[in-house]
Amino acid sequence: MLIRTLELQNFRSYEEASVSLSDGLTAIVGENGQGKTNLLEAISWIAGMGSFRGVPDDALIRLGADAAILRATVESPDGREQLIEAELPRIGRNRIQVNRQRLSRARDLVGVVQVTVFSPDDLELVKDGPALRRRWIDEAVVSRHPKHDALRSDLERILKQRNALLRSAHGRLDGDAAFTLDVWDSKLAAAGNAMRAAREDLLAEMAPRLAAAYDAVARESAEVETIYEASWHGDLAEALAGSRQLDVRRGVSTVGPHRDEIVLRIGGAPARTHASQGEQRSLALSLRLAADAVVRQAGVAEPVLLLDDVFSELDPGRAEALLDALPGGQRLLTTAAWLPPAATPDQVLKITAGTIVAASG
Amino acid sequence: MSYSSTVQELIDSLGRLPGIGPKSAQRVAFHLLKAPPEEALRLSRAIVDAKERVSFCARCFNLSEGGDECAICRDPRREERIVCVVEDSQDIVAIERTQEFRGRYHVLQGAFSPIDGVGVEQLRVKELMTRVGEEDIEEVIVATNPNLEGEATASLLVKYLKPMGVRVTRIASGLPVGGDLEYADELTLGRALEGRQVLDAGTPADG
Repeated sequence: MLIRTLELQNFRSYEEASVSLSDGLTAIVGENGQGKTNLLEAISWIAGMGSFRGVPDDALIRLGADAAILRATVESPDGREQLIEAELPRIGRNRIQVNRQRLSRARDLVGVVQVTVFSPDDLELVKDGPALRRRWIDEAVVSRHPKHDALRSDLERILKQRNALLRSAHGRLDGDAAFTLDVWDSKLAAAGNAMRAAREDLLAEMAPRLAAAYDAVARESAEVETIYEASWHGDLAEALAGSRQLDVRRGVSTVGPHRDEIVLRIGGAPARTHASQGEQRSLALSLRLAADAVVRQAGVAEPVLLLDDVFSELDPGRAEALLDALPGGQRLLTTAAWLPPAATPDQVLKITAGTIVAASG
Repeated sequence: MSYSSTVQELIDSLGRLPGIGPKSAQRVAFHLLKAPPEEALRLSRAIVDAKERVSFCARCFNLSEGGDECAICRDPRREERIVCVVEDSQDIVAIERTQEFRGRYHVLQGAFSPIDGVGVEQLRVKELMTRVGEEDIEEVIVATNPNLEGEATASLLVKYLKPMGVRVTRIASGLPVGGDLEYADELTLGRALEGRQVLDAGTPADG
């Protein structure tokens, strides 16, 4: 999938902008705070209907405007062109059109364009708590197997319902409440077992790619492992029955895929606590590269790579190594400082104060 | 600037209606204030009349006008051994349009959803159990929505009703008639595969 043109209206700092994109490497350059990342954010919104920076849609609409509009022409591998249009109003629902036809379910846009985003915040994947790693693996699971999108949203909703029920029990479970908890337990067990299996399968599929990506980016060979630490053993249905009293007392679900951890190790030691900052950074990039490689090699999609200011955090050697390790295809990167000397962008976009002042290449 | 208390009260009352946010409430309120008096009065009369004449059926909790029981429960031609359980009265209208079902109904008045504070007590489950106990009911068809809450409600009903010795069935989910396979979403198509039937002179697999 290639993004041929991108058009923004009242999106972030852009009042109006329109650009044709090369199908190779595009470098977006400019001072800090000029709107470089906003271009990547627009593409990531079209791919996943949300900002990769995790801000609400409201924050994407330019101050003083009622709605932001995104427009992109994308080309599929068979050469078919599609016009994607999204209107994000301040009040009311988003309006999504593909080839001028309004989508009846806006969610159907997800997956038309796939992206892999690299950002300096990725370091938190390695350093922070397990929630970010769970989100990383779940996003990868859904990109690899798009049908699991429903599993992920079901799981989220089941947990919300079960926790609401546990809270309303106020520490005690009478006959009716126990009956109803049985119902949510069976739903959680089915979805939870399925999600854990999907995560573990994907980690296994990813393992060789993760090792290769780490060696390439870190420019040294080290044994990199991911270990899935589930919050339960065996069948989740039994574990839920076993933890019922505790769950009722605490008013939350204490076992399930939402409590699982993915431990990352470099050379046998936990990366979160034992690795150097440079190793952690290399590992974070490798996690993104590995998830991307799995999707690509399974032939599910050719994600567009979006690299937000990642080179400024790397020493020149690692920056060049990352550039080499990137798969081909469409790649967009932003930088305020410098480009690795080996980078030979096919196109350079210069951004000043929310306008694309120059395009070359 | 703020509105006079009369106007504000109108906006607040409209804003409490489902699906109407503060902005819409304001728009409707101003529309009503600008409209000719008879238009606004017609609406208020319609609300008063409906509240006075329409109540819930004492048996099945469908909407009922002029009597304790609704028109379907009062109809002697309806099969009383089969009861179809739905979430809301609107669902009865949809099923009636098929003209396939000649039994009676039971309206739960919602679906099981702890987030919204809807549990067994808020639904008409105990009333359904009383009916199964007292009436001559042989089969309960669970026709709650095929979403998470509807499915949970269905599982819950099975738990309550199975021990009472009544046959409990669930409506099938699958492909829309007249549609194309290639346009079906994975979930629906997956369900349709799970619920496949033996082709045997047109009889359902387990029917």
